[in-house]
Amino acid sequence: MPVESTPQKHSWADEVGEEFDQLPSDNSIDETGIKTVIEYRTNDEGKKVKITRKIKKTLITTHVNKIVAERKKWEKFGEEKGKKDGPDLSTTSVSEQVFLKLSTTGKQTEVTEDIDSAKKKLLLGKKILCRICKGDHFTTKCPYKDTLQPLDELTIVLEEVKNPPNAETTPAETTTGPTKYVPPNARAGGKTASTDTYSKERRDDATIRVTNLSEDTTENDIHDLFRRFGSISRVYLARDRETNVCKGFAFVSFVLRDDAAKALQAINGYGYDNLILRVEWAK
Amino acid sequence: MRPILLQGHTRSLTQIKYNAEGDLLFSVSKDHVVNVWYSHNGERLGTYNGHVGAIWSVAVNSSSTLTLTGSADNAAKLWEVRTGKCLHTWEFKTAVKRVAFSEDDSMVLVVTEQRMGYPGSVVILSINQDINAIQSDEPITIIHPEGSKAMVADWGYLNNYIITGHENGTISQYDWKTGDLIKSIQPHTAELTDLQMSEDRTYFITSSKDKSAQIFESNTLSPLKKYVTDAPLNSAAITPVQEFVILGGGQDAMHVTTTGARQGKFECRFWHKILEEEVGRVKGHFGPINTISVHPSGESFSSGGEDGYVRVHHFDQDYFKFKYPDL
Repeated sequence: MPVESTPQKHSWADEVGEEFDQLPSDNSIDETGIKTVIEYRTNDEGKKVKITRKIKKTLITTHVNKIVAERKKWEKFGEEKGKKDGPDLSTTSVSEQVFLKLSTTGKQTEVTEDIDSAKKKLLLGKKILCRICKGDHFTTKCPYKDTLQPLDELTIVLEEVKNPPNAETTPAETTTGPTKYVPPNARAGGKTASTDTYSKERRDDATIRVTNLSEDTTENDIHDLFRRFGSISRVYLARDRETNVCKGFAFVSFVLRDDAAKALQAINGYGYDNLILRVEWAK
Repeated sequence: MRPILLQGHTRSLTQIKYNAEGDLLFSVSKDHVVNVWYSHNGERLGTYNGHVGAIWSVAVNSSSTLTLTGSADNAAKLWEVRTGKCLHTWEFKTAVKRVAFSEDDSMVLVVTEQRMGYPGSVVILSINQDINAIQSDEPITIIHPEGSKAMVADWGYLNNYIITGHENGTISQYDWKTGDLIKSIQPHTAELTDLQMSEDRTYFITSSKDKSAQIFESNTLSPLKKYVTDAPLNSAAITPVQEFVILGGGQDAMHVTTTGARQGKFECRFWHKILEEEVGRVKGHFGPINTISVHPSGESFSSGGEDGYVRVHHFDQDYFKFKYPDL
């Protein structure tokens, strides 16, 4: 598309309007047609600033139908009446770049399907137990989903570790079709409503509260201290609003509750920065 | 590519149309405004003011001298393209949903809505190409499709017949001289949202809310290709030069809450016309895509969305270099 990389009729020089310094402003035209304009200014902080602008004017000639060329000369009418030539910025703007990636698929989706089927095979070995009725199906697929309450709180906690990998692969599988282009958000391991709210709820179960922290503890310190127990999904360090020093406690959310439990066991009573830390479940 | 964003409308776009040379792009919207733009840089040429209801459709003749718009204010207006002057208004009993010029510009078909006891109809009007001439109010023919109402329609080649798409998914072929039904098929399971002819009008593509788009041969109405997607489609267009079709639509209702948060998510999908495979997508719209039109030279395309924006895309060089690898 022919795009002129030039400034419009009102040049930057008019906008500047400030006094030029003693140093001369330079105008030079290179062999390649690039015009270099150097200008010296004092900016807001009182510092001398050298501004170099390189401008290249390209004239692109396209052959168009004679009628098309005539139409270009038409006078504007309606809401555009009286407006000057060229696109009006209130109605026309250039959007950000989009990429049309043309691909002959088939190969890509085969790979993702293999990963999914491999995962499924791994999980077939484990026993799938419904929390509501203890049947041989996922809790979400339970026929008594709306009627019975979960039987045991503890077993929920334990099985949550087992169930999430199951739940995540099944939606991914159903969305990939045979030999079709799969957009990024629908591919395996993508974000869906169930995983989104599910992960938020799960995170709260895998969150520990660590107290008796020293004042100069930072999020990074907490992160470094707890990362050896497993992957951390979030660290929240309580800070005083005015002074920004640590208030003495923090919340660490792990991805897996088991990791949170391990961290709890290990850090509770651990000495850090001359203070004995105390760790508890956040709930 | 860097699409040009045209912000000339405050409400959702209903149709966009290139003229025969492709240098002008007409856009109409529910905000009663008809805009015409220069397609190569997005500069607005002018507006046609006069309608008092949502405008559903626009058509332009092959010499780009006249344009016809159909609106929900029960009127179809003929405008002089160059000056914006309204040359004639035809009044109907119900809203006008679709207008189309015949290949030789001598006639125009107007699809009217079915409402309040008035049946839907397809009205054939004759058009005088002279700007200063008085247009006739008397229609040549009025066709009342039986059963389901017509949503979209267009002309066959050499004015042989008109093709209509209906609310129940049927496609019919009518003889406009007599108003008789020649042929009818029911390939779709939900209402047809768009019908666009190929360059020579020997085949056409239809898009439907049943999440599929199909290509049919004009004479026999035999199905040629089918493209099944996961979202209800609002528009489909055939690209010249490269063997693609562009489909645009909404999003499957189920996925709106999960993915709608990310902006600019609604996409124009490119499918290979012959091989019936999706080859790419172009993101950018903030709402469902309502209308797609391709430049007659195949070098660019435009899409109009529910968000009120028209995006004009000029293809990069690698679009034209794309070829399927030898099997």
